[in-house]
Amino acid sequence: MREKFRDVNSTRNEDVPPRGLMPRRLAAIVAGDIVGYSRLMEVDEEGTHIRMKRIQRDLIEPSIAEHQGRLVKTTGDGFIAIFDSPVEAVRCGIVIQQNMSGRNASLPKDHWIEYRIGVNLGDVIIEDDDIYGDGVNVAVRLESIADPGEVYISGGIYEQIKHKLVCGYESLGDRKVKNITDPVRVYRVLPDPGALSRARTRRETILIILLSLILLGGAGGTLWYLLRLPYQTATDRMSAQAQSRTSDTVPRLALNKEAPPPSQASPATTDQPPAPQTQPSALVGLGPAARTTKEAAIQAPPAPSPREPEMSTLRGGIFLMGSNDDITEKPVHQVTVKPFAISRYPISVREWNQCAAANACSFVATGKEDAPVTNVSWSDAKQFVTWLAGVTHKAYRLPSEAEWEYAARGGTQTRYWWGDEFQAGMANCKNCADIGAAEQPIKVGSFKPNPFGLYDMGGGVDQWVEDCWHRSYHGAPSDGSAWVEGDCTSHVIRSGSWKNDQRYVRPANRDSYDTNVRYPTHGFRVALSP
Amino acid sequence: MRIVRLIALSAVLASISCAAHAQGKPAAKDALLYFIWPQNGAVIKGGFWCRFGLRNMGVTHAGDDYQNSGHHHLLIDVNEPLNVNEPIPQDKNHLHYGAGQTEARLELPPGKHTLQLVLGDAKHYPFSPPLVSEKITITVKESPATRGSVAGLEPGAGAHHH
Repeated sequence: MREKFRDVNSTRNEDVPPRGLMPRRLAAIVAGDIVGYSRLMEVDEEGTHIRMKRIQRDLIEPSIAEHQGRLVKTTGDGFIAIFDSPVEAVRCGIVIQQNMSGRNASLPKDHWIEYRIGVNLGDVIIEDDDIYGDGVNVAVRLESIADPGEVYISGGIYEQIKHKLVCGYESLGDRKVKNITDPVRVYRVLPDPGALSRARTRRETILIILLSLILLGGAGGTLWYLLRLPYQTATDRMSAQAQSRTSDTVPRLALNKEAPPPSQASPATTDQPPAPQTQPSALVGLGPAARTTKEAAIQAPPAPSPREPEMSTLRGGIFLMGSNDDITEKPVHQVTVKPFAISRYPISVREWNQCAAANACSFVATGKEDAPVTNVSWSDAKQFVTWLAGVTHKAYRLPSEAEWEYAARGGTQTRYWWGDEFQAGMANCKNCADIGAAEQPIKVGSFKPNPFGLYDMGGGVDQWVEDCWHRSYHGAPSDGSAWVEGDCTSHVIRSGSWKNDQRYVRPANRDSYDTNVRYPTHGFRVALSP
Repeated sequence: MRIVRLIALSAVLASISCAAHAQGKPAAKDALLYFIWPQNGAVIKGGFWCRFGLRNMGVTHAGDDYQNSGHHHLLIDVNEPLNVNEPIPQDKNHLHYGAGQTEARLELPPGKHTLQLVLGDAKHYPFSPPLVSEKITITVKESPATRGSVAGLEPGAGAHHH
């Protein structure tokens, strides 16, 4: 492409290039720049520069070439490229953004390098190392209004690609662009077409559910008020709790004639003292609205007092953490653990659902109540301990990784707490016991406890601890505290699950998982500082 | 009347979203999962960035139940067949990239290794039929810098940077 223009005289320094001589042509212009580049440079000048150069070399330039484009210029923190094909231009933008999100995923948020990308179709004047024209200004303008990690395109591009590139396009309306008379229609590109309709349907669904809940709440309240009138004197003697029960039953009775789906009767039951049964899951995520309608119907609900997990107090001490069985468990190092308490069992479905019922945990767990709760992310587990600490006024928290291993070893230094050799029937792992593989692990406490009286420390469910993931113990604290510096996009899981083999049952075994991702074998137990 | 219909609709929608299990979702017909790098037969010194390629489908965060999208899983030295009726296992040989990563830093012990990508849906189930990459074989040579320190398989639920 470069050769095409080599016969053009260099007129770069002139303010107004003579029109007739310049090759004008229609091109898809892609403008990209890094969000908050100066902030990144402040944080880590050299590192940011090196990373940006690497991104340009490894990602931007090859992506442009791969889509038959041409990099026109790079600025301090951005680039401008032109493409013959609008489809290729937008594809290139998506590829860059998807790759960047992958690169950022494992970094702390303040080190993220994020691009904004704008794509416009326009008539441009092309020189060897720069281009001119309104079309470029519009592309730059689109880029400047794009959200970090997003690709914004103009109406001109949209018209060209809408039937060719399977993406979702969200219209953001007309935008006025500086120094350009006509407003520009702006579209946001969603790499996956489902995302758009899905986002819309979800928004509509939530609105509809909220609306119906408010209506039901209002109707329930009115019914309750009407029915309560004849019994005024009787109600006077009733406690607040009894009132809440009345309000619970009335809408149920009233609605029973129409055979309501379970979700309709539940707004009034949400804040009851934690009942052992699980709440209907349709209410999850409707927290504030459900609470508002309910508060209208029930006066002063009694504060829930949750059943606390059974805790074992450990005296603390010095132990050797780690092993030579796997590189992640090295080096073996001495750790001093202060006295603390840890729950005897992993947190069960029943215990979890008390938190869900209080709208403090974000989903209702299903399955057997005595089984450990699963499919929790690290962030979910943190929500639970925060709630538990709040309602009990005790310092409940996740155990540190050192505390977990100290507790799991139960005072032993062997490969397993019962010795160096594996024994069948001692832990809930794959092919380790006479129980079939199941969707859910069997109930907590089904196997022998370790010498500290703790159950399921190894096998059963994987258990989150407080620590961020580090690939070895080099630099680990030796005072038993959680190691929270470093790459906190993934956290440590311990114990191995019922789906892992016997190697994972070892108390020294450690693994990691993305902090905000749920997986069906992940659970946790809680700790308590004295 | 419209409101009643809307309520009924919302109830139906709510129940569908709860009942719809992600198991066995179909992948896009022309979807292609492949390694951008390394290529089959590559000989690599020390640690390397493994890059995942996906065409005609989108990469999303695990848990996001969008049409036509999923997240990457990397199977290292796995010989057992993939069970499509269960979530993709999570262990030191089945690495998950549920934050939507499209590349990962790997440090494997010297020797021959197989790598294979599997796309998982919102709930970590393979698609139906499973969308998997070619299973490639690479050879890792001990790099002089890390001699003696690489002894086991490096797990990494995330792409680990330095």
